[in-house]
Amino acid sequence: MKKTLFFLAAVCIAVVSCTKDKTDYEAEIDKVITEHTVFKEAAVIRSEGYDIRIEALNGTFYNGYNEIRVKITNSQTNEKANVSSVTYIPIRTNADGSEISCPHQYNLVYRAEDDYFSGHSVFTSESGADGSWTLYMSFTVGSQTHLVEDNISVQKQPNKNLNMTSFIGKDNEQYFIALVSPQKPKVAENELVAGIYKFNQPTSPPSGNFPDPSQFSYTAVRGYTLQLDPRMPEPSMGNHSSPNNKDLTQYEDGLYRGIVNYTMTGNWTLNFIMLNQNGRILKGAEVPTDFTPGVEGVKSELHLDILF
Amino acid sequence: MKNLLAVFGFLFLGVSANAQNVPTQTDSATRIEEVKVIAKRKIETDMKMSVSVDEFLASSQKISFIKRGAYAWEPLLNNMGTERSTITIDGMHVFGACTDKMDPVTSYVESNNLSAIDITSGQEGSLHGATVAGSIDLKRKSTAFGLEKKWNGAYQTGVEFNNRQFFNLGNLSYSGEKFVADGSISFRKAGNYYDGNQDEVNHSQFHKFNTSLGLAYKTSPLSSIRVDAIYDKAKDVGFPALPMDLWLSRAMITSVAYKQLFEEGLVKVWDTKFYFNTIEHYMDDTKRPENLVHMDMPGWSTTYGLVSGANLQRGDYSAEIQLNAYDNLSIAEMTMYPQDRSNKTMFAYSWPWVTTRFAGLSMNNSWDISEWSRLNFGGSLGLNYNHSKYVEFNWIFHPGTPQEKCRILPGVHASYQLNINQFDFSVGTGYGHRAPSVSEAYGYYIYNSFDRYDYIGNPDLKNEISYEANASAGFKSERGALEATVNYFHIQHYIVGKILSLGSPMNYQSVGVKGYTSLNHGKLFNATLHANYDIFSHLHWKGTLIYARATDDNGGNLPFIRPLSYQTSLHFMHRKFGIQTSLNGDFAQDNYSPEYGEDLTPAYRIWNISADYTFDYKGFKTVLQVGAENVFNQYYSTYADWGNIPRMGRNLFTSLKFNF
Repeated sequence: MKKTLFFLAAVCIAVVSCTKDKTDYEAEIDKVITEHTVFKEAAVIRSEGYDIRIEALNGTFYNGYNEIRVKITNSQTNEKANVSSVTYIPIRTNADGSEISCPHQYNLVYRAEDDYFSGHSVFTSESGADGSWTLYMSFTVGSQTHLVEDNISVQKQPNKNLNMTSFIGKDNEQYFIALVSPQKPKVAENELVAGIYKFNQPTSPPSGNFPDPSQFSYTAVRGYTLQLDPRMPEPSMGNHSSPNNKDLTQYEDGLYRGIVNYTMTGNWTLNFIMLNQNGRILKGAEVPTDFTPGVEGVKSELHLDILF
Repeated sequence: MKNLLAVFGFLFLGVSANAQNVPTQTDSATRIEEVKVIAKRKIETDMKMSVSVDEFLASSQKISFIKRGAYAWEPLLNNMGTERSTITIDGMHVFGACTDKMDPVTSYVESNNLSAIDITSGQEGSLHGATVAGSIDLKRKSTAFGLEKKWNGAYQTGVEFNNRQFFNLGNLSYSGEKFVADGSISFRKAGNYYDGNQDEVNHSQFHKFNTSLGLAYKTSPLSSIRVDAIYDKAKDVGFPALPMDLWLSRAMITSVAYKQLFEEGLVKVWDTKFYFNTIEHYMDDTKRPENLVHMDMPGWSTTYGLVSGANLQRGDYSAEIQLNAYDNLSIAEMTMYPQDRSNKTMFAYSWPWVTTRFAGLSMNNSWDISEWSRLNFGGSLGLNYNHSKYVEFNWIFHPGTPQEKCRILPGVHASYQLNINQFDFSVGTGYGHRAPSVSEAYGYYIYNSFDRYDYIGNPDLKNEISYEANASAGFKSERGALEATVNYFHIQHYIVGKILSLGSPMNYQSVGVKGYTSLNHGKLFNATLHANYDIFSHLHWKGTLIYARATDDNGGNLPFIRPLSYQTSLHFMHRKFGIQTSLNGDFAQDNYSPEYGEDLTPAYRIWNISADYTFDYKGFKTVLQVGAENVFNQYYSTYADWGNIPRMGRNLFTSLKFNF
């Protein structure tokens, strides 16, 4: 009897062990996406007795949207310098010698509670043989303004959820859309945050020291709407979409926020239509909404591909 | 308890005689015997002695089937699906692991490890847990202690020629004074079947292996302990009505039970069982060349539970009380691949790790008011708890719905039986709740190939509430009997799938998305007329007419309701020969429901015939049977054949059974 029971138990265990492993869903998402939440030093400039520390997420400048935090200290005392203002211009020097910038905040904002100057920079491409990035900054201590510059390295953004795109709108203006959040989407309604920027064409020739901010001026557009239609473009997914999405509209901080509802993990395309404050379409068109298994989903001329 | 087994009318072929030849002992063996004898029926139909569990169930008037192929038919009780009935094995709850219901519990047992199937209609079936349609309890074989004949066994083998099905079923039991053992083993292997036009129905093959073992030990004259296990494995099972097949499914169903008898007092028997079962089910669509995309759909279902019941009796009053508790975890995944398997294009849970916990107390009472009349009454009260681990999948369509949900499931029923001379009558009524099934509440993009919609569950569905009335009238004479039964269900918050305007389909063949929603109500009516008559002492006739009608709150038809159907059979026995013939069919399904993907199914009529001969072969009682089903080779499909796949054409079969 005991032997039989033992045998039975052994058979049970042998049989109960599963043939196919269950998917470790949480680990799978982690494998595809690394989420960065900590600001680390991405560049430090030492000049005229001051240390200028520029922090970004993961201590790296990435292609796309970067929030930056600038902290300036006295090199000798290592104490916080009494800085009244900081300006910031990133410049890309292309292989052909041409110089361009990218959407950025020129006058950084002082955040008293955390004691740093805050801004952002949407790097339009990574550093490489075809071009390099230099930061031109100035800061004012007392009545003295210091100018500094430093070469930085911009890395490719491995996380497609922080993709960006630039395009010429129907008003012949150059626009940039950069995803800010979520870094790590969930199968859920995600708050989708994006920055929409416009290049301000210079109205006068350059003057003063390089770089002349009026030649490299970008602003966040005001009162636009970014209509959203997320879809899974793979032929096997047949143009699958999701309910309960919300178009992106501008919030007080200048960023645009909406809701994207991901029904499952995989490749998604965010199809956009950008409307200006008067409701005029500047870019993008409606995409077919039919379920078309076996056919790759048509993407809007304005779209961003993401993956999670 | 009104046991509808009585309406089955199976052949008795002698095994029950064994059970009655118990030596006159005064100890519990006799009594354990008595408890068992009630359920001693043969798992065979009028036409066939070697049947599958599905074929056996199909012979009941209360059961119809949704068929997606030749294997694992989904039983409909009172024209209601498995989410509305409770299907148990000896009171143990087992839940299939396939989101598309391709593995009803009945597919994990085999006819040679069952002794009977108890079918109870409506709320009277609430003994095993909350139900609307009723309960189907599969009774395992369990040999009594101390039989005069210590070793008993049977071996069956046979062939079904249409789909070249070969089967070998063996079972053996030992009965000692203190120890009994029951074992069974079976193999079935079938190829594709051919329809009435002689066309091969591709992907209708199946392979099944099933084995079971039960050991019992008498711990005292009045108590015993019993360990049971069933292992079932189905491999390479085709589902012609679906875009995919089954690669492998396995079930391990185990239990440990303790039984105590009492010689005095109100409580006569107390039986407590702990059980554990686990099921894995892997669909496979790589054998279908038409699929440009592949989807892996593995499912797992693990249940453990407790069932503890007592039989009470004093004078004219008897009762059964049962405590049911179980915990089930259902997991189902979807992963899609293009032709290149390494490029996974999506992943989602179709059952996002859904836990169901149920605890309930049920009671059935029976009071013999007089010699002619009896009152049955009872009820159940259950607590049903659900938890969805990855609730984000449910939030897609139901934002912010709670991750947990608790439901109270009450049920009551009463019936009155009256016997006047040769007539008997009964009237009954019932009221009960059921909780939505895992798919109905938490399912996510479950593809239904019948209406070609992806189904989304709704965790906030209300309980389905059934108001039920039933009645029967019968007349018995020396040579025949006539019985009419009717039942009517008014089901509040009847759960069906309704097209969602939002949401976009996902599965390859899908045309849209449906969400499970509650209708205001649904109404179902079932009526059966059954007659049998002994024309001569060796020639018996039986006939049955079944009618059902079901409508939703707008008067529209509900799906999967059997049209008017009939069955009539003649059975002739002479000495060692038996010959049976039957005619059965459905009328045209005029009340079909296009909204749920149904179309008009034409009428059909099937004629079957079989003959058997019983003889003695080297001391073994041996029965040889040959027969033919669908003799006219009619091409047909029934109202519940998924995607109108044709049923089997003419099928010659033969089987041989040795008993010892």
